[in-house]
Amino acid sequence: MTPTADIPLKEPVISAAAGDAEQLERARIDASTRVPVLMFYASAMVWLLIGTLLAGFVSFKLHSPDWLSDVSFLTWGRLRPVHMNVMIYGWASMAAMGTAIWLMARLCRTTLRHPLLIVAGIWFWNIGVLAGVTGILMGYSTGYDWLEFPPYAAVILFVAYALIISWAVLMFRFRRGDQIYITQWYLLAAFLWFPWLYAAAQAMLFVVPVQGVMQAAVGWWYANNLLFLWLGAIALGTAYYMIPKVIGRPVYSYHLATIGFWTYALFSSWTGMQRLVDGPFPAWMITASIAATILTIIPVATVGLNHHMTMQGYFPVMRYSPTLRFTVFGAMSYTVFSIVGILISLRSTARYLHFTEASTAYTHLGLYAFFTMIMFGSMYYIVPRLVGREWRYATLIKLHFWASAYGIGLMTLMLLVGGFVQGASQNDPSLPFIESAGSVLPYLRGRTLAALLLTASHFIFAFHFGLMLFGLGRTSTVPTFLNPIEAEGSEAHL
Amino acid sequence: MKGLVSLFIGVFGTFAFSWVGLTVIPNLQIGALNPQMDEEGTDIYPAPKSGMADRGRRIYAANGCIYCHSQQIRPDYAAADIDRVRDAGPSPRPKWAERRSAPRDYIFERPVVLGQERMGPDLANVGKAGPTEEEKPAVAPAANAPAGSPANVALPKPASGNAPPAPVQPAAANPSPAASASPNPNGLPPAYSAAWHHRHLYSPRSMSPDNRDSTMPAYKFLYEKQPISGERSADALQLTGPEAPPPGWEVVPTYDAKCLVAYLMSLDQSHPLKEVKTAAGAAPPAASPPAASAASPPAAPPKK
Repeated sequence: MTPTADIPLKEPVISAAAGDAEQLERARIDASTRVPVLMFYASAMVWLLIGTLLAGFVSFKLHSPDWLSDVSFLTWGRLRPVHMNVMIYGWASMAAMGTAIWLMARLCRTTLRHPLLIVAGIWFWNIGVLAGVTGILMGYSTGYDWLEFPPYAAVILFVAYALIISWAVLMFRFRRGDQIYITQWYLLAAFLWFPWLYAAAQAMLFVVPVQGVMQAAVGWWYANNLLFLWLGAIALGTAYYMIPKVIGRPVYSYHLATIGFWTYALFSSWTGMQRLVDGPFPAWMITASIAATILTIIPVATVGLNHHMTMQGYFPVMRYSPTLRFTVFGAMSYTVFSIVGILISLRSTARYLHFTEASTAYTHLGLYAFFTMIMFGSMYYIVPRLVGREWRYATLIKLHFWASAYGIGLMTLMLLVGGFVQGASQNDPSLPFIESAGSVLPYLRGRTLAALLLTASHFIFAFHFGLMLFGLGRTSTVPTFLNPIEAEGSEAHL
Repeated sequence: MKGLVSLFIGVFGTFAFSWVGLTVIPNLQIGALNPQMDEEGTDIYPAPKSGMADRGRRIYAANGCIYCHSQQIRPDYAAADIDRVRDAGPSPRPKWAERRSAPRDYIFERPVVLGQERMGPDLANVGKAGPTEEEKPAVAPAANAPAGSPANVALPKPASGNAPPAPVQPAAANPSPAASASPNPNGLPPAYSAAWHHRHLYSPRSMSPDNRDSTMPAYKFLYEKQPISGERSADALQLTGPEAPPPGWEVVPTYDAKCLVAYLMSLDQSHPLKEVKTAAGAAPPAASPPAASAASPPAAPPKK
């Protein structure tokens, strides 16, 4: 079970002579991030499980509406925003911050200062999410997508964020070495974008509310940028770190990485209004967003090409490394997500797909297939380095991967096809409207099946993560491979 | 160190570009619209909603109606919204709309509930789909405070005077479902009347045989089952079949349910707007589209 020399699954040795010192330094940095990052991950896992169960409820209730519908806080219209907000602020943001802080410490080659303040921030963040969720369940949802938390929860989240991220930014100030890696760009940018984005949306919706339809524009501008500039940026930064790290090879092209970063920042931030296509808005707003969505093909192509060329010749490593398998799945999903985004935003397809389940498919492609899979990958890499144990069961990792991959694949397929069927009958005025609701029902049942797969996958991962947290991982110097290295050979199918 | 300053400038610059472009500039364009009025200063549209309907919108948002119902009509060149008729109602069925929605329709809405998906039909004009003025049951003054109803606890806030035009009280904001209007042959109240909305919210799949596929959740928690003390409450729901309460009991709407229905009944974008072309062939009542609108293409952004 020792890795062969040509498949460098271990961290690449940066400098052979200084090897030991480097390892020691890394261990010290990892130790400084241990408590906050594990707390981030543990909180994120709890929220992930809650959000997953809620997703199952929401999916099931959509085709069986009479189930548990007589209690106000179990009504579909309250559980759905709770599910979304738990996933975004509970799972996604906390996992992203955990990974980002660890990456920042590693890349700045500096220890994390004041980890206890970050721990306080994590508590505040959890309280904020809990307060917001309670607010929605009690019937105080604001009614703006992804901003349903009552404003008092937003204040708590903001305080928590300041406590957490100021130290991450400070690490950058104390960095050693004058090289700034591409991952640091993405992370630093995300750290700065999120508070601005959140503050701007809160201010324009609740403090000095804008008039009428502008609220919807601000809402979608926020939701889309949250997906791209906060979660998406951290996911891309993570992929830029994990892929070269695991295969032990530098990023293919720094030029491509630069182009990808700036075009990503420029074009993704202008998308969002296509969700309001043909609505009561000046047409130029919608058109600008559709154009920006089409232009996101540039960052997609450059980032995708860069990752692909980095991976060139090393794809078989995905057979062994859990991190690489999840990360590459996520990076490929970024391409799929963006292309689906372009296709459904065009006016000719929006005629059929606007107001249908297809937009739910798009959101889940971004939040799950792209972002969440990369986060899973990073957790498989980072957690062993924090707890000093290796993942116990390769089988569980494989089950986790395949249940997630098939689950999100099935879900996307069901919602895209169902959305098209739904939209086609919606757009035929000779049919009664109820036909369109009825036509999508079989696909919604299929989606519930996908939700079951994802639930299984998350519980498996949570169990495995729990073992690691309680020190029940393997004691070994060799990482857990998905398949025994000896079996390497012709049957490599990835 | 090289490039760090440009990194910061770029990070802020790209984001500021998007913020200004997609929120600040549009806000200058459509963020300060006034209601439209004719030369005499009468016939003002839109007007702020009454206190009950305004509260109803919050209930609409808080209970997630927005995730399945849109309140925006797309133009005829983009989709079939305007050609659509509602699934219920007397023949000819009420249309979804006569014209597309425009920013001015929403200037008093907060939160604005444009919606994003249509698991259920669009509601932009559902208040207009109800029985016309003459058929509407008279507003029963007593119906506002039935004995034992929570309406006594929370009285409607008087409509705040923060907006220029006088608030309009929807004609049937608070009617008694049991009142005069003759029910349909199938025992249902007239489609899209307040009584119909109450029954639909209470039991969406009981409405008519072709509504079995509806995936709308029942909002029974907005209603109360109570023993009949003396007279049957004027606003008790008329339920039949398995939904009917046992003898001696009745189902009455809570104050929240009344507000929600008042809100639904107030949804009406039928008033012509100067900047929007009204559907040809179906002239809106009492007002043909102003000549100015014919000149402007429908795709043109609404002018200030």
